[in-house]
Order: sequence, then structure tokens, then C-alpha cells
Amino acid sequence: MNTTEKNNDEMTLGAVHDDDVLLEIKNLVVHYELEGETVEAVNGVDLTLRKGQTLGLVGETGAGKTSTALSVLNLVQSPPGKIKSGTISVCGQDVLKMTPKQLEKVRGKNVSMIFQDPMTALNPVMTVGAQIAESIKYHEGLSAEESVNKAAEMLKLVGIPRERAVEYPHQFSGGMKQRVVIAIALACSPQVLLADEPTSALDVTIQAQVLDMMRDLKEKMGMALLMVTHDLGVVAKICDSVAVMYAGKIVEYGTLNEVFNTPLHPYTEGLFDSLPNIKNRNVKLKPIPGLMPDPTKLPPGCAFEPRCRYATSECKEVCRKHTFGGSHTVLCTRYDDPEFHIELKRRDRQWQRD
Amino acid sequence: MIRYVVRRILWLIPVIIAVSFIVFLLMELAPGTVVDAIQSDDMTTEQREELRRQYNLDKPMIYRYGLYMLNFAQGDLGVSQVSKLDVWDVFMTRLPNTLILSFSSLIIGSAVSIPLGIFAARRAGKLADNAVTIFSLTGMSMPIFWLGLLLLLMFSYKLGLFPGGGNREGIRSIVLPAICGSLGMIANTARQTRSNMLEVLNADFLRTARAKGVPEKVVIRKHALGNAWIPILTTIGIGLAAQLAGSVVIESVFAWPGIGRLAVEAVTQRDVTLVTGVVIMTSILYVLVQLIVDLLYAFADPRIKAQYIKYAKRRKRVV
Ligand SMILES: Nc1ncnc2c1ncn2[C@@H]1O[C@H](COP(=O)(O)OP(=O)(O)OP(=O)(O)O)[C@@H](O)[C@H]1O
Ligand SMILES: [Mg+2]
Repeated sequence: MNTTEKNNDEMTLGAVHDDDVLLEIKNLVVHYELEGETVEAVNGVDLTLRKGQTLGLVGETGAGKTSTALSVLNLVQSPPGKIKSGTISVCGQDVLKMTPKQLEKVRGKNVSMIFQDPMTALNPVMTVGAQIAESIKYHEGLSAEESVNKAAEMLKLVGIPRERAVEYPHQFSGGMKQRVVIAIALACSPQVLLADEPTSALDVTIQAQVLDMMRDLKEKMGMALLMVTHDLGVVAKICDSVAVMYAGKIVEYGTLNEVFNTPLHPYTEGLFDSLPNIKNRNVKLKPIPGLMPDPTKLPPGCAFEPRCRYATSECKEVCRKHTFGGSHTVLCTRYDDPEFHIELKRRDRQWQRD
Repeated sequence: MIRYVVRRILWLIPVIIAVSFIVFLLMELAPGTVVDAIQSDDMTTEQREELRRQYNLDKPMIYRYGLYMLNFAQGDLGVSQVSKLDVWDVFMTRLPNTLILSFSSLIIGSAVSIPLGIFAARRAGKLADNAVTIFSLTGMSMPIFWLGLLLLLMFSYKLGLFPGGGNREGIRSIVLPAICGSLGMIANTARQTRSNMLEVLNADFLRTARAKGVPEKVVIRKHALGNAWIPILTTIGIGLAAQLAGSVVIESVFAWPGIGRLAVEAVTQRDVTLVTGVVIMTSILYVLVQLIVDLLYAFADPRIKAQYIKYAKRRKRVV
């Protein structure tokens, strides 16, 4: 009941600035400056997240997904990390221009993050209850006792008995730790939730449970969700739009239907081709050949060119963006040719939500 | 938990047996006996023989050792062979001096080294960090007695700020020995604090804390130090134990009337009962300090506490 009241408040607040845009990332560039070399982790990412929207950010390991999400909290490890350029506005405020004090107010309150590895994300010498209560204490000005109470409520919300609030992380299983991490992120009902592979550390059954739970909570709280994952099944299950990331760039963006039914980028095609087909096991898997380029030595043109079967010599030099049907964008020069299309045959795959 | 403590204390028995045996053996191998220390020039050979018999020096060492342990088993540390005073009483009158000095060193040492270590960790790789590392390495490789002599030369003989030894001038007389004792510890503890802090400062859970909007000050004090101080505590415990062990050197240099100096005096007089008594008592202290540190450690870290309490609590929850 408390949360619905709060959400109504936020709705009126949200209406003050433009539309329902809660998160807007523009031209984000993040580099890790190591001794003698620079890891170009994120190279000009644009993303927009509206109220109630769930955006899946997919890409293979090292694509820069976590770096992008961390930038939203202005929490890129520094040194060596550095946000070279770009603007990130959360609920209309630019987090990259904030003072530490202002940032503390936004983190956990307007935007929070579920971290990738639940095993190390929790403080081993604090009870889980205290760890959840902490953000409540700082953001909602509740007394210590009320915060602890609300923390126990949060635990219950993620399916852990209240009584276990007094226990320490080492007394929890991996799946339960992940739930605690989720409870921490949700404690102050943030408007934007960044979920960094919230289920990759879990086994399949628990994975499904946690995803269902997150979807329910998201609907209950009406927040915008950025779901970072490399699992297309997860995307199909809970996202309504998809951004495919490769070597620090969004190579394809569109609604779930657009990207899953008519993928445009050769890399997206490769992603689908490398998935097993449940209906027809005789279809051979076609993993993408080669590896992602070394992020310290990115080519001037398209970073996918060395692995791309459609690549031409022009791809080595330039990489142009094309838009289809208003919102479906692809970063691929081959679409200069109006006749160009990728070969992916739409297989009757089940991308369904339950 | 109690079983653990009892087990640790029982471990003292073999330690005491081994330590006292080694002391007896070394004293046997060393030239001279207690008779050389107490005899006067006008004694006849018969009188000397009589004295040797009194101290059982005509019997094999193992006999004297057995006799000593027999008394010890009944809680009797015996009397000093030279002064005839009760060893327990002598030890207890000297112990407070050593404790005062050790704890002063410990407090100075911790007060300097822990902030220094944190400071270095937060500036890892920068100039300030390197300066602290060099300081630590210098401190660690400096012999205590030499450092003590330098301090005395400088602040006592040259500048006359502090007394040249003893403990008769209250706080003024403790300054130099306490500083000298703390320096070795500062180096060690600062390095330990630095590496523990560094490890913790890169931990994922600090990022979680920051992502919650916890103010940076609290992140460092509560989350980082809350984890780092557990191993630091051990270092301090080892520091205290090392102070006890190192008291022999410092107390000799600064003529500080504690147990370290007592041991040295007893050795020069070949007073086997006194030496053995002091060594046994110091070993017991040493082991107790370690035990207390381990228990504190367990209470500070829930993961380790869980190992001691074992299943007791979990069982309760199921019911
Ligand atoms: N702290 C760091 N120091 C140096 N390089 C880093 C650091 N963090 C990330 N990187 C580099 O930045 C690039 C992008 O990393 P990022 O963690 O954002 O990838 P990701 O898409 O989240 O991958 P994954 O799916 O494995 O989590 C990688 O090449 C990685 O090696
Ligand atoms: Mg990641």
C-alpha cells in the first residue's frame, strides 16, 4: 500500500520533465586506462529507457554491458576506468555532473543496480537485514527500527522468511544471496533498475523463479528495467525492447518483435544461429567464428567485420547506422544497399512469455 | 566455544614441558653454575662442594629437571636460587612494569600504524604510499637495540629531554622505551593494514554499498574497516606477543625493571629456577594473549564464529 502511494507521487514528479523518459544515455564513452594500453570498453552508446519499459542489453562477455550499467551510477572503478564523454540523465538529472553528495541521493533511490556476482556483492560481516536496511535508512529517513522492519518486509517480498534477516550472507545459498541483492536494489522502490545478469549465477529452476519474481515486482512497482544479459531466453521472457551490444557499441536496437522476428545485424543473426533449436535438433549450431576484437585495438570501421560473412572492404573503414520502420536501428554499412538482407531463416522457435 | 578454549589451554602443557626442558638444557650447556655466582672468595673447597650438593649439581640434569617439574605440577615455581625469594612473587612484582611498557608501545604503535596503513592504501601506487612502504621497510629491518641506543644518545645524552633508563620518572621515563618498542610494530602493522585495506577497498561489496547511496565516509569506516580490522586485530595481537618476547632487548637497553630484564639477570647468575619460572610464565602469557586475540577474531567475523558455535544455533532454528 505504501509503495503504490509512493509511485503515484513519483508519477506526478515524473510528468514534470519530458514524457516518461527515466534514463537517457547519450554518446557514452568509457575507457579503462591501464599501463601502456587503453581498454575501449564503451564506445558511444545511446540508450533510452521509459517508465515501465524493460530493455534487454545483450552481448557476449567483454562487450561493455557492465561498464555501461555502472556508468549510470557513476560507479565505474576509477582508476583505471574513466567516463571520457557522454551524458547520462536519470529522471532528468545528469549523473555525470553531480557532486558526490547529490550522487548519494540518487543512488539507491532513483536508480539502483543488481550486481552480477551475488557471492561477492554482500558484506560478509553485516547481517543481510542490516544491509537492506542501510539504503532505507539513508533515503527514507526512517528510524533504525523502522528500517530494519522494512528490510525484513523486503526479504519476504523476495521470498525469504523475515526471521532470516538477522543472518549473515555466509548462511545463505547462492540463489538466496541473489534474492538479497535484489531486495537491496528494490528497497527504496527505485524508478530505474539496472539488473546486471541477475540470474547468471543461478541454476535453471531458480533462474526462472527469480525472473518471474523480478517481473512481478517490476509490474508492482512500475519501474523501468535495464536487463543486462547474454541469455536471449531471458530477453524473450521479460523484455519489450532489445539492444544488442558488440565491442562497446549498440549494433542493433528495436522492439522485442523487431529484433527477434527480423534481426538485421549479422552479429544478431550469429547470436540466434548459435542457439540450439528445440523443435528441430537436426539443425546444426552455427557458432560465430572467431573472437571479439581486442578492446585495446579496435579497428576504425566495423568491429564485427573480421567475423562477418557479409563484410566488404568498405566495412573496414566505416560503420553507418540505418533505421527501419521508425525505431529499429542497425549499425551496419551494408544496408547502404537497399537490396541487402541477412540470410537468417526464421525458424519456428518458441520465444514466448509465460 | 568452551571446548575450544579448554583445548587451547590444554595445549599449554606440552608447550611448558618443552620450553622448560630447553631452558634446563641450555643452562646445563652454558659454562658456570649458580654456585659460581653466589660463592665468595673465602670459601673452602669443601664448602663449595657442600653448596653444589645443596643445589643437586652433583646429580644429572635430568634429576633436577624431574624434581623441578614435580614441584611445578603442584603449582610451585620454587624459589630463586640466588635471592631465595619466591619466583612467583618476583615475577609478579616485575610483570606490571612490562605490561605498562608493552601496552604503551602497542597503543602508540596502533595509533600511528593503522591510520598510516589506511592512508597508504587509499593512495596506493602514489608517492605517499611509496613513502610509507619505505618507512615500513626501514623500520622492519632496523635492529631494536640499535634503535634504542640511538634514541638514548639523541634524546637523553645530547638533548637531555628524557632519563637515560629506569622507571623512576613516571611518564617521562616510559617515552623512549615505548617509542622504541612501537617502531618495530608500526612497520609491521602499517604494512598489514595497508594490504588488508587494499584488498577490501577493491571488494565488490563496497560497490554495492556505494550503489545504495551510502555516504563515502560510512563506506570506508563501516564497510571497508569493518572487514579490514579483523586481520589487523591479529597483527596487533601478534604485536603484543612480540612486545612480550622483545621485552628482553628493550628492557635491557633502557634498564626497565620488567620481566625481560629479570630473565637476563637470572641468566647471568645461572639461577635456573628463576630463569625457568620466568620463561614458563612468559610462555603462558604469550599463549593466553594469542588465545584472546583468536577469540576476539571469532567474535568479529561471523563466518569464523559460526565454526565455533557449530550447529547449536541452526538446530534451534529448525525447532
Ligand atoms: N576494472 C577494470 N579494469 C580494466 N579493464 C576493465 C575493468 N572492468 C572492465 N574492463 C574491461 O572492459 C571491457 C568491458 O567489460 P565489461 O565488464 O563492461 O563487460 P561485460 O559486457 O559486462 O562482460 P560480462 O558479460 O563478462 O560481464 C572488458 O574488455 C574488460 O576487460
Ligand atoms: Mg558484466
